[in-house]
Amino acid sequence: MKKITIILMAMLIMSTILSAQEITGLKIIENVYNRPTGQDQEGDLTMSLINSRGDKRVREIKQYLKEFGDMEKKIMFFVSPADVRNTSFMNWSYDKVGKDDDQWIYLPALKKVKRISSDSKSDYFMGSDFTYDDLGDRHPSSDTHNFLREETIDGEDCYVVESIPKEEEYMYSKTITWIIKDKWIGKKKEFYDEDEDLLKILTVKEVEKIKNYLVITISEMHNVQKDHTTKMELKNVKVDTGISDNKFTERMMKRGM
Amino acid sequence: MKRTILIIVILVFAFMLNAQIIHHGFVRTYLGALIEQDGEYSVLQNTFDWKLDYGKGDVALYVNPVFDYNALNDNLDISLRQAYVDIYFDNFDLRIGKQQIIWGKADGVFITDIISPRDLSEFILPDFEEIRIGTNAVKFDYYLGNSTFEAVWIPTFESTVLPEENSIWAPEMPYPLMFIDYEFSNVEVENKLSESEIALKYSYLGSAIDFELMAAYMWDDNPTMHIIAQPDSIILVKSEHHRLPLAGASFSKAVGGAVVRGEGAYYFEKRFAPEEFIPNGVKEKDYAHYLVGYDHNWLGVNVSFQFIQEYILDYEEDIRNDEFSNTMTFLITEDFLRETLRLEFFTYYGINNEDALLRPKIAYDLADGFEVQLGANIFVGEEGNFGQYNENDMLFMKVRYDF
Repeated sequence: MKKITIILMAMLIMSTILSAQEITGLKIIENVYNRPTGQDQEGDLTMSLINSRGDKRVREIKQYLKEFGDMEKKIMFFVSPADVRNTSFMNWSYDKVGKDDDQWIYLPALKKVKRISSDSKSDYFMGSDFTYDDLGDRHPSSDTHNFLREETIDGEDCYVVESIPKEEEYMYSKTITWIIKDKWIGKKKEFYDEDEDLLKILTVKEVEKIKNYLVITISEMHNVQKDHTTKMELKNVKVDTGISDNKFTERMMKRGM
Repeated sequence: MKRTILIIVILVFAFMLNAQIIHHGFVRTYLGALIEQDGEYSVLQNTFDWKLDYGKGDVALYVNPVFDYNALNDNLDISLRQAYVDIYFDNFDLRIGKQQIIWGKADGVFITDIISPRDLSEFILPDFEEIRIGTNAVKFDYYLGNSTFEAVWIPTFESTVLPEENSIWAPEMPYPLMFIDYEFSNVEVENKLSESEIALKYSYLGSAIDFELMAAYMWDDNPTMHIIAQPDSIILVKSEHHRLPLAGASFSKAVGGAVVRGEGAYYFEKRFAPEEFIPNGVKEKDYAHYLVGYDHNWLGVNVSFQFIQEYILDYEEDIRNDEFSNTMTFLITEDFLRETLRLEFFTYYGINNEDALLRPKIAYDLADGFEVQLGANIFVGEEGNFGQYNENDMLFMKVRYDF
């Protein structure tokens, strides 16, 4: 009996420790980072840029991405507007901390694939409210994560985590993310500028379950300081269709979709 | 008549395939005025650049007719920039027809990029897409992972298009024109199999580095001027194309957030004009042309720098060109207003002659695909590639709509 009591006590202590571990900020962000997303994915991306007067400009992109062990390859084909038609962009990102992405662009007027500097992660992507870094998967070890509280948004129970970059010169002083419990997917994210003022709010509007994977299909980034919004819609999403490795090559950048 | 047939063929082609054909291209008005000639117009051109894509299965067609209306001489010029068929297989592709082929890692400098000849009738001022002439070729590409083996066969030779004699872009001649007698009897290369050109390239694109290795048995696209003294004191200039074998390589590599590029080619027995009159009027020397470049983005400002050197081996003092010719290029660009406003400054600087071409430009998107450009071409110096045009400083405006 005594033994059973000791075992039960030990299990209780262990579960308390585990439970405490589960709710650290780092653990939450790691769970989001490691959430299964499939081996490959393709879809049609539409970005609507809406200014404070409500004027709208639309960019359309066909994109493919695939996991290759410790790296992810992504290729984007620009469909519209007409002046960027047939331009393509390829990005190889690495799990290894500190290893820069490799990036190439194909401009149909120049007819050659050109390696470009990847030191522009704070640049805005195609004039949108998303920077290149906002669109990528930021490694959890790049920030210090603090679990702030639990909160319910739109009926979803969320963890709220504050992430402070370790790099001093980073474009944001901090971000605060609302992560849906059990699903390990973001619901909302606030970005604070270098003066610690609120700069942008990312809101996830729609998540679809495709082949048991959760995919964000509609999201919106609102720059509160400039009152400018970018709506991002992903359509015709296909996951794990076995996209060929050859899709992510110089040949395909030149050939197009 | 030829133009009419071409238009009919294009329209029939477009009509027949209309259901599946993809039309795109641009319409542009281009106005250029010479600053030192009280704003005399040097360019007043309207262009309709029409691109037609058609694909079915593993075969695709591409046709790019260009309609250029020159309002200064009321002339409509119709041409095919490219017209080819692509055939795709699992591991290799074939492209057959009139096509632009671009090699190398250099920007705005032609070192291993010698497959497509150039239209220099307006010097190097037009966009690069318009400078390059589509060449009739069969291009074969074989793919193995991140490697590509490319072979190009060009059955008919096409020369560089040089500015007309009375053009403001006609290059400086070493002798007064009145004492020159031209002979063009050897300038044409015969259209036969033995006169065709062949080029091979191996390229690799990967995380560590991108590089290309190439070798080619070409014709020199620029005719060599054999300058020969005659007994009657008239100078005879014989214009002739010569074979030009060459081998080269290029690379680009990411280094600490920047990109470092290099490119070089070794040309065998290139012909150079001498200062003194000699029997053949020309000297044959091996020649090397190479470049290093550096591209970086600092806080949204793109900066690109290139140093280019040309070197004549086994140099002799009486060769008209310098043993070493050094040039630098510098490009700085920045986008504003969510990529609707772009400022650009590009310059070539010739170190030997202390001459330069400065090209500031501002481009604004009035709407998506509808752009207005204002810019200038300023020539600095007295002699050299750029200084010789110091009377040709120009302001320009382009209005372009892409569809």
